[in-house]
Amino acid sequence: MKFGLFYEISIPRPWTPEREREVYNNCLEQVKLADQLGFSNVWAVEHHFLEEYSHCSAPELFLTACAMVTKNIRVGHGIVVCVPEFNHPIKIAEKTATLDILSGGRLEVGTGRSATWTELGGFRANPDTTKKSWDEFVRCLPKMWTQETFAYQGEFWSMPERTILPKPYQKPHPPMWVAVTSPGTEIDAADRGMGSLGLSFAGYAEQEKKIKEYRRRIQLCEPVGSFVNEQVATTNFLFCHEDEKIGVETGKRLGNTFNYLATQLISTREVFSSPSYQSLGLLPALRRAATGPDASEQQTEGMAYGDPARIIRAIKHWESLGVDCVNFILNANETIPQEQVMASLRLFGKEVMPVFASKPSNVAAAE
Amino acid sequence: MPLYGTLDITRDPRRLPTVANLDTEAWALPKAEMMQLLIEVPRTSTEGLLPKAMHPALPSYVIAAFTRYPESPVGAFNLAVLRLGSRAGAHPRGFLLGALASTEAAAKELRSRWGFPVEHGEVKFTRRHDRVMGTAKKDGKTVLDCALVDPQPVAGSDVQYINWVTAANAPLDGQTTPLLIQVDPKYAFHKSERGKPQVSAFDASAWNAGDITLADPIIGTCCTVDTDLPRIRFVMDPLKPVFQGTRRIRESRADE
Repeated sequence: MKFGLFYEISIPRPWTPEREREVYNNCLEQVKLADQLGFSNVWAVEHHFLEEYSHCSAPELFLTACAMVTKNIRVGHGIVVCVPEFNHPIKIAEKTATLDILSGGRLEVGTGRSATWTELGGFRANPDTTKKSWDEFVRCLPKMWTQETFAYQGEFWSMPERTILPKPYQKPHPPMWVAVTSPGTEIDAADRGMGSLGLSFAGYAEQEKKIKEYRRRIQLCEPVGSFVNEQVATTNFLFCHEDEKIGVETGKRLGNTFNYLATQLISTREVFSSPSYQSLGLLPALRRAATGPDASEQQTEGMAYGDPARIIRAIKHWESLGVDCVNFILNANETIPQEQVMASLRLFGKEVMPVFASKPSNVAAAE
Repeated sequence: MPLYGTLDITRDPRRLPTVANLDTEAWALPKAEMMQLLIEVPRTSTEGLLPKAMHPALPSYVIAAFTRYPESPVGAFNLAVLRLGSRAGAHPRGFLLGALASTEAAAKELRSRWGFPVEHGEVKFTRRHDRVMGTAKKDGKTVLDCALVDPQPVAGSDVQYINWVTAANAPLDGQTTPLLIQVDPKYAFHKSERGKPQVSAFDASAWNAGDITLADPIIGTCCTVDTDLPRIRFVMDPLKPVFQGTRRIRESRADE
């Protein structure tokens, strides 16, 4: 079992320059500590226009900063939007290769297509075609990374033969992932030999079903890249405290805040009738969970908050379902003070990580 | 936390419709034809239109809808409504700004049973093969003239209709006070199309829509549905966040 951090970079109003900088610095401080503790990955989303929910519109810059202040932790696009109005594929290939070089070969490339009208409409992208453009992009990227020259004529973009530079540091290229929120996207990931980067907070039964289907399908995949990246990652909230009650209450506050902010987003399906967005993605579960920011209802099972023993039980359950990596959201709207987030991380590193480590975590160095 | 509306509906309750009671029976409305156009609007123009209990949609948008109800307890009628995209807590809602019904009887009943801010006017719903058109006139003046252009078939499962919220005076606990009322029709789809919204005339003041100007069209749908106006299930305190101020009037629709 591996552990990662997952950043939306949620920032409360008022958005003063100092506030923005403080939150970004808090995130970097957390990443530095996570690297020392032996976390495997840090992921950063690409979101635009999402108010307090996310200010992570330039993840490659944040991830570059992460790489510069860490030694071992891998840096991941979670995800880069593969829609031409958002990102030109040549620029994706160039920027990811550069980040892979700067990080010394620590890049993971998550891909996706955006789920909100707020974003798709903002870029005047056509929701009907995002799955198709994503499919084109993920098939082109490995070739752009590995071939001396590349030319392409597709439905959504084209280019004459050119040499795309630089090439990634990792050979043959960085591992590729797909963001999985909508039902069935895990099949898209499996069929293409890509990792399943789960971004929903579904309970055990639903995740188990998805993981089984993913493992079954990927055996016969036709990988879009040079290798199969068979990995399943899920997302979770983390708040670890010696006192179980404090841990659970604080974790619930984190979850409720995140969920409530997430449900304010306009899912594409809500306003734009399209066969390409049959599902509301993670929103129905969040709406059930997000009665309000101070709701006391039971949240989705398997959340990693409480005392170390409770968190270990939850993670062992995820492990038993076949999850390879759990990525944690540490804060939302800065609802938890930074010193408490850091203390939670340290306690997790000291008490929880050794239970799952194949080698001892580097706790001493972090203390 | 998310932005809230700024409208205090308790300041001038006389402007609001008054609901006789919260126990109105449901109306079955079979084979209704419903054209719905979604259009983004500038956020600054919507700030004062949404009750304090609710969150604005981001981006701001309105839903202009024309519906032909061929059967109802008050006979056939057409209804035109303008709703403001919003959130009641975590849930997407359309806050009803204004409405026109083509018959006096429909206007009276919708106003007194569900608290719709509806008046009698001329409402036309016209279906052609190249477009579906809606025209609403109030006191002889065209206040909305719009169309769904080039309708193309889609599956009913591709269409999502969000629930309504309206502001009205309603009796609760022995007092008639301004409340927000949730109206949550069900839809069984027979036919669904989508197309491009087009608006040729819009008078915001006729829809209690302040100085809203229509900006970017999102999409239009036109569907034939079996729908209803159900019994009222939830009311909300207009001044508290809905996750604190929601009151369940009855358990579920199963009691209808």
